[in-house]
Amino acid sequence: MHKFWVILKREYAQVVKKKSFIVGIVLTPALMAAFTIVPSMLARVQSSTTERLAVIDQSGLQMGSQLEEALKVYTLPDSDRPYYAIERVFTIDPEDTATFAAVQDSLRRLINSKDLKYFLVIKKDAYLADSNLYLVTNSENFRSIGRFERKLSDIVSSIRLEMSSINLPVDSVLSLTERIDLTVQDAKGESIPFQIKYFGALLFVMLIFGMSIGYGQMVMRSVIEEKNSRIMEVLISSVSPFQLMLGKILGLGAATFTQLVVWYVIGLGIYIMRGTLDIDPSIARIVFDPFIIISFILFMITGYLLFSTLFALVGSIVNSEKEAQNFVAPITLTMIVPVILGIHVVQEPNSTLSVVMSLIPVFTPTMMMMRVIFIAPSLTEYSLFSGIVGEAVLGFILVVLTIIGMTWLTSKIFRVGILMYGKRPTFPEIMKWIRY
Amino acid sequence: MHLQILNISKTFDTKVAVDKLSLEVPKGVIYGIIGPNGAGKTTTIRMVMNITRPDSGEILMDGKEVGPDLRNRVGYLPEERGLYKKMTLSEVMIYMGELKGQTARAVRDKMDPWLKRMDLQDYKLNKVEELSKGMQQKLQFITTIIHDPDIIILDEIFSGLDPLNIELIKDVLLELKRQGKTILFSTHVMEQAEKLCDSICMISRGKKVIDGRLSEVKARFGKNCVQIDIEGDGNFIASLSGVKGITEFNNYIELQLAEDADTNRILKDVAERVRVRRFDIVEPSLYNIFIDMAKVDPSEIVKPEGGTDA
Repeated sequence: MHKFWVILKREYAQVVKKKSFIVGIVLTPALMAAFTIVPSMLARVQSSTTERLAVIDQSGLQMGSQLEEALKVYTLPDSDRPYYAIERVFTIDPEDTATFAAVQDSLRRLINSKDLKYFLVIKKDAYLADSNLYLVTNSENFRSIGRFERKLSDIVSSIRLEMSSINLPVDSVLSLTERIDLTVQDAKGESIPFQIKYFGALLFVMLIFGMSIGYGQMVMRSVIEEKNSRIMEVLISSVSPFQLMLGKILGLGAATFTQLVVWYVIGLGIYIMRGTLDIDPSIARIVFDPFIIISFILFMITGYLLFSTLFALVGSIVNSEKEAQNFVAPITLTMIVPVILGIHVVQEPNSTLSVVMSLIPVFTPTMMMMRVIFIAPSLTEYSLFSGIVGEAVLGFILVVLTIIGMTWLTSKIFRVGILMYGKRPTFPEIMKWIRY
Repeated sequence: MHLQILNISKTFDTKVAVDKLSLEVPKGVIYGIIGPNGAGKTTTIRMVMNITRPDSGEILMDGKEVGPDLRNRVGYLPEERGLYKKMTLSEVMIYMGELKGQTARAVRDKMDPWLKRMDLQDYKLNKVEELSKGMQQKLQFITTIIHDPDIIILDEIFSGLDPLNIELIKDVLLELKRQGKTILFSTHVMEQAEKLCDSICMISRGKKVIDGRLSEVKARFGKNCVQIDIEGDGNFIASLSGVKGITEFNNYIELQLAEDADTNRILKDVAERVRVRRFDIVEPSLYNIFIDMAKVDPSEIVKPEGGTDA
C-alpha cells in the first residue's frame, strides 16, 4: 500500500471511530431541525385563552365601541369563545386630564400585574394623526397587534370618509382602496419565498464554513500532536513531509465527506417521509437544483482544502494549541466576513460588490455559494461564459489556483516547521524556510 | 548494511553543528557515536536518516546515497520518544510497520513474539497512554525494529530507560547484531557505550576526536591509568609525582599517569598517607580518553556514574 494511503487511512479512522463523530453526525441535524422548526411552530401557536384589553376613548366618536364590535370576528382556535375581551371602554372628556391620568395609571398597574394584556388609548382627533393612537402592552404579539391595526385602520378610514364630502357608501370605498399584496416571481415564472432562499443560503454557507474550520483545525491539531509527541521525526524518516501533509488533509477531508453524505441522506429521508410535516415545497427547488448541488460539492471541497492547508501551515510552525489560537482567530475571521456581507449579497446578489467579493479566493467558497443559491433557481439558461455560471467557474478556477499555490508554499514551510521545537519561528525565519 | 559518512558538514545560521565528519560503520557491528550534549550527534543522525541534508559531503548506505528508496530498510529511534497516545499497541505497531512498507498482516504475525520479549503481551489491546513511561519506551523500540530493518539507528539510546530495560535492549541489540544487522547509536553516557559497542567515534563540537574499534582506541592509550579506592581524603594524590590528573568518582578515584610513571612508587606514596582498599592498573575509560583527546572542560560531559540519563 502506498504510504500516503496509510496516513490517509489512519487520519480518517482516528476521526470516524470517535464517539464524538457519531454523536455529532446525529445530533447536529437534530439540533438544526430544532432550531428551524421549533421557532416557526412556536410562532404559529395561538393563544388558548381570551386576551383581555381595555380602551380609553377620548375621540367622542365611539371608536372604542366600534373596535369592540370589530374584534368580535376573532375566536379562539377550535372553539367559539372570543379571542379578545374588552373589559371596559372608558369614555373620558379630552379636557378632563385628571381623570385620564388616573385611569391610565390604574390600567398600567393592571398591565404590570398581568390582569390586563393591552390597553388602547384613542385621543381626540385620532383619525387625523397616528400619534393620537397608542397601545400599551408588555407583550409583542405580532398577530394581535396586526389585527388591532387593521381594524383601527378600517374605523379611521370610515370616519375620514364620513367627514369628507365624498358621497359613496363606506364599504365600497374601502373595497376600492384595498391594498394589494405583490407576489414576486423569478424569471422562470415561479416564486421561492425569500426566507427559503435565505435559509438555504445560510445552511449551505454554514456547512462550508463550519466544516472547513472544524476539520481544518483537526488537521492542525493532528500536526501539533505529532510535533509535541515527537512522532514527527519517525514519520519523516518513513514518508516525505508532503505525503504526510497530503495524507492528513485528504484523510480528514474524507471524514468531512462522510459526515456530509450521512447528513444528506438523513435530510433526503426526512424530505421524502415528510408526510404531514409542513415543509415548503420550494425547498426542493434549492436542494435538488443540479447547479446548486455541483456548486456546493465543489465549493465545499475547495473551501476545505484552502483552509485545511492554511491550518496545516499553522500547525507546523507552532508548538502548542494555545500558541495556535493566535493564528486561528484571523483565519476564522476571514470566514466570518461573508456572513457579515451576506445581508448585502442576498439582497443584491449581482451588485459589483457581491461579484467582486465572490471572486476573492478566500471568500469564494462561501460568497459564491450564497450568490448561486439566490440566482441559480431562477436561471432559464446556463452559459459557461457569462452570468452566475461563468462567475462560479471563474471563482472555482481562481480558488483552485490559490490552493495549488498555498499547498506549494505550505509544503515548503511544513517540512522545516515540523522539526522545529521550542521557540516559535519569526516571520523572516519562515520566509527563509521557503527558499531552503 | 554498510554505512559510510564522507566528509559531511552542516551549519545552522552561524553555528557549525557538524564539521567535515567522516566515519565508516561496517555491516554487522554495533557502532557508537559518543560525545557531550551539543556535539552534533543528533544532527549527524538526522542527516543519516535523510531528515535533514548535509550542506556538503555524502552519506552512503551500501554504496548508495541515502534517500527515499532506503527508508524501509532503516529503523530509527529518535532522541525524544513519543507515540500516539490514543491508539492501541497493536494499532501503533501496524501503523508504524505499514509506514515502513510492511503489510498489516506481516506486522501482526511478527508483533506477538516481540511483545512477549518486551513483557508487554498483556497490553496488546490497551491504549498507549495506559502504559508507563518505561513500557512506552519498549513499545517504541519494537516499532523501530518491527519491519526487520538492515540498519538500526538509535539516538541517545539510553535516554529515559531504567537499568533493567537497558539490559533488555542491549541483549536484543546483540542478538540483532548476530543476525547481521548494523546498529548505530549515539549517547553521551560513555560508560554504557563502552559495554555495548564494537567501534566508536567520539565527536566534540561537530568534529571527530577519535574513531576506530574500541579495543584499538583503548590500546592506543596504553595501560597508563590507575583506579584506587581509599579510606580518607585523597586530595594529595593529584600532586604526587607521575600523576597527570585525577578524576574522583563516587567510590573510587581514577589517576591518569605520566608515561614514565612508576605505579609501585605511587602505591607506596598513597599507602603511607591513607588506607588503600583497592589498587588497579586499568585501561583508561572512554571518559578519560575523551577528556584527554578533546581537550574539553570535563564539566561539559557526563561522568560514568552520572546515571543513564542526564
